[in-house]
Amino acid sequence: MANFILRKAEPNDVPDILRLIKELAKFEEMEEKVLLTEKVDVPLVDLLEDGFGDHPFYHCLVAEVPKEQSSEGNTVIAFAMYYFTYDPWIGKLLYLEDFFVMQEFRGLGIGSKILKVLSETAVKTRCSSMHFIVAENNTKSIEFYKRRGAADLSSEEGWRLYEIEKEDLLKMTSK
Amino acid sequence: MNFKIRAATKEDCKEISRMILELAVFEKMPDQVKISHEELERDGFCQNPFFECLVAEVPEENKSKEGFTVVGYALYFYTYSTWKGRSVYLEDLYVMPEFRGNGIGKGLLSKVAEVGKKKQCVRLQLSVLDWNTPARDFYAAKGALDLTDSEGWHFIRFDNQNLDNLANEAPKD
Repeated sequence: MANFILRKAEPNDVPDILRLIKELAKFEEMEEKVLLTEKVDVPLVDLLEDGFGDHPFYHCLVAEVPKEQSSEGNTVIAFAMYYFTYDPWIGKLLYLEDFFVMQEFRGLGIGSKILKVLSETAVKTRCSSMHFIVAENNTKSIEFYKRRGAADLSSEEGWRLYEIEKEDLLKMTSK
Repeated sequence: MNFKIRAATKEDCKEISRMILELAVFEKMPDQVKISHEELERDGFCQNPFFECLVAEVPEENKSKEGFTVVGYALYFYTYSTWKGRSVYLEDLYVMPEFRGNGIGKGLLSKVAEVGKKKQCVRLQLSVLDWNTPARDFYAAKGALDLTDSEGWHFIRFDNQNLDNLANEAPKD
């Protein structure tokens, strides 16, 4: 059974966070059989500024194990990135952007603990709920969340996620 | 029709609250609106606001049947993509029915895009109900992609009792 601690990420953790972001992309790549790792386009310096500058765009929790327990010497073996959003009907929400535990550290309760700490953060900061998105083919994750009482708003209420990318955004601003 | 798009002030929150309810009625979920203008004033105009808002205003002579000059709004906030960086999320976009067809919706959306651009945001996201064809067409015409369709993304929510249950199981510090 692994010993681990959960703590707030610090600026020094940014290279590890980027490594885990890419591992998550790789994991999703294997599920999707698409080259996604190259789509990770955020430079380290932006990740640092955006998370630890004057106006953070995100908050991050990391899980750390003692050096002896990690085969490759990495002590940061899981992360959860979140930020606060707003629902005009109910107010503040906690939005979970990324949530990942390295393969060899799964099944040890790390994911569950992270989710519980996030829920406590949400309640402490007056958030009415916690939201996130999940790909419909990621059945393992969906079951993990449903077991804990999550609702699928896309299935139940018909919400669809839309995105306008940079090029089309710029077209709108040039008028 | 003349209209002006400007940043909302604290004083606009009563009008924004009125329109939030109008939009909720349109979305067939009016009893899900639990907060009022007081929460909007607190959360949108504090030191680190949780959202930003634009309003569309018409001159006195074009006011609505009930006498309103604030006739549309766009409520948005900043989010983060681990792959691409800074993003804008457009939470609500609404124009009162009698003022539609005058370019106000487009004006609000373009202004949000401009605000996002100034903050170096690389994309704008929003959600729309599957039956809301006019909205889906409006966004598609601006280049929006339906990621629920193309990539299978679903919105998940933990709320109320379920959130409390999870939190109560959290390790004590």
